[in-house]
Amino acid sequence: MEKALWYLLTATRGGANRARIIDALTDRPKNANELADELDVGYKTVRHHMEQLEDHDIVESGDESYAKLYFLTDRFDTYRDTFEDIVEQMDT
Amino acid sequence: MAMGPLITAAVVLAGLNTLLLLPLVGVWIRNYSTFGTGLVGGLVLFAVAMLAENAMAIYFFFSMASFYSGDPGVQKVVLILRGLQFVAIAALSYTTLR
Repeated sequence: MEKALWYLLTATRGGANRARIIDALTDRPKNANELADELDVGYKTVRHHMEQLEDHDIVESGDESYAKLYFLTDRFDTYRDTFEDIVEQMDT
Repeated sequence: MAMGPLITAAVVLAGLNTLLLLPLVGVWIRNYSTFGTGLVGGLVLFAVAMLAENAMAIYFFFSMASFYSGDPGVQKVVLILRGLQFVAIAALSYTTLR
C-alpha cells in the first residue's frame, strides 16, 4: 500500500486533490457533497476520486444510498506516517 | 528505396507514443513542482528520454529513410519493440490520467 499511496498521490493527475480529500476526512467522515464544498472541487470529480480511493482500500463508505459518508480505512491508518511524509512534501 | 510497410508502421507507432507521452510529461512536471519527490522526478526523466527517443526515430525516418535499417529482419524487431512500447505507455497513461 505504501507504493500505491506514493503513486496515487504524487504521480497521477488528480493526486494533489486526492491528498486534500484524505486530509479533509481525517477530522471526521464526510459525504461527497461536503468534500466538494470544502475543497472547491466539482461533485463529479470528488465522486471519481472517491472511487479510486475505495479501489485502493484507502476509504470506505457507509451503507446509505443518499449522502453516504466516507471513512478512512483501518488499513490506511497503519500507513498514516507515509501519508504524512507525502503531504509534508506538498506544503514545502 | 521505397519505405517498407513494416518501418512505416513502426514510425506511426512512434508518433502515437509521442502523442501519449506529451500529457504524461505535463502531469509529472506539474506534480514534481508540487511534491518534488524522487519518484516523480524519475518519472519525468523517464518520460522525457522516451519522448526524445521516439521523436528522433520519426526525424530519422523522414530525413534519411533510405538508410534507416533497410533489412526486413531489423524492421520487424523495431516494429515489435515500438508496439510493446506503445502498450506500456498506453497502460501508464490510463493509470496516470484518470
